[in-house]
Amino acid sequence: METLAIVEFVFDMLLSSSLLFVAYKTLTCKDLFQAIVFFIVFGLLISVAWGRLGAYDVAMAEVVIGAGLTGALLLSALVKLKKMNID
Amino acid sequence: MSTLFFYAVAGIGLFCTGLYTLIVQAHLLRKLLAINIMGSGVFLLLVSLSMRTAGTQPDPVPHAMVITGIVVAISATALALVFMIKIALKTGKAELSSLEEK
Repeated sequence: METLAIVEFVFDMLLSSSLLFVAYKTLTCKDLFQAIVFFIVFGLLISVAWGRLGAYDVAMAEVVIGAGLTGALLLSALVKLKKMNID
Repeated sequence: MSTLFFYAVAGIGLFCTGLYTLIVQAHLLRKLLAINIMGSGVFLLLVSLSMRTAGTQPDPVPHAMVITGIVVAISATALALVFMIKIALKTGKAELSSLEEK
């Protein structure tokens, strides 16, 4: 049981720090397309965090809505901006 | 207890990062990403506080609130994206005009 506790501790530490890192990359990288891809990755990571916290229904909703649908909406808006030659 | 602590601190950090970016960056798409990340930080804090006692089932009421919040957040994001496209069509750039340019 001691080994399992250590593994859970390391997993929580890695997941929360990678959440912060991916959010930082989303908000600071130069290219907007890259930022949107980082945001989709962030949605997948936070749904893993919610599965870890015991909120499985929230995890399902986040995978469908937060990662999939929001990413598609943001990408379509970016394509519309690029068609107008606006950066 | 350590699980709650890690994810609560991560949620607070996400909120602070998003707020800083919302103030600093000019591009509206970047501001929208910042608002979404701020919301995710608040949701992470709520869900991590719903498992206050280790070893028992977490409280389901914050989960219901967070699911409602996710749905509201995507609808608000879609509306704001439409507003961003309209602003870009009208002014020629996807930024809000500052007061110094007038």
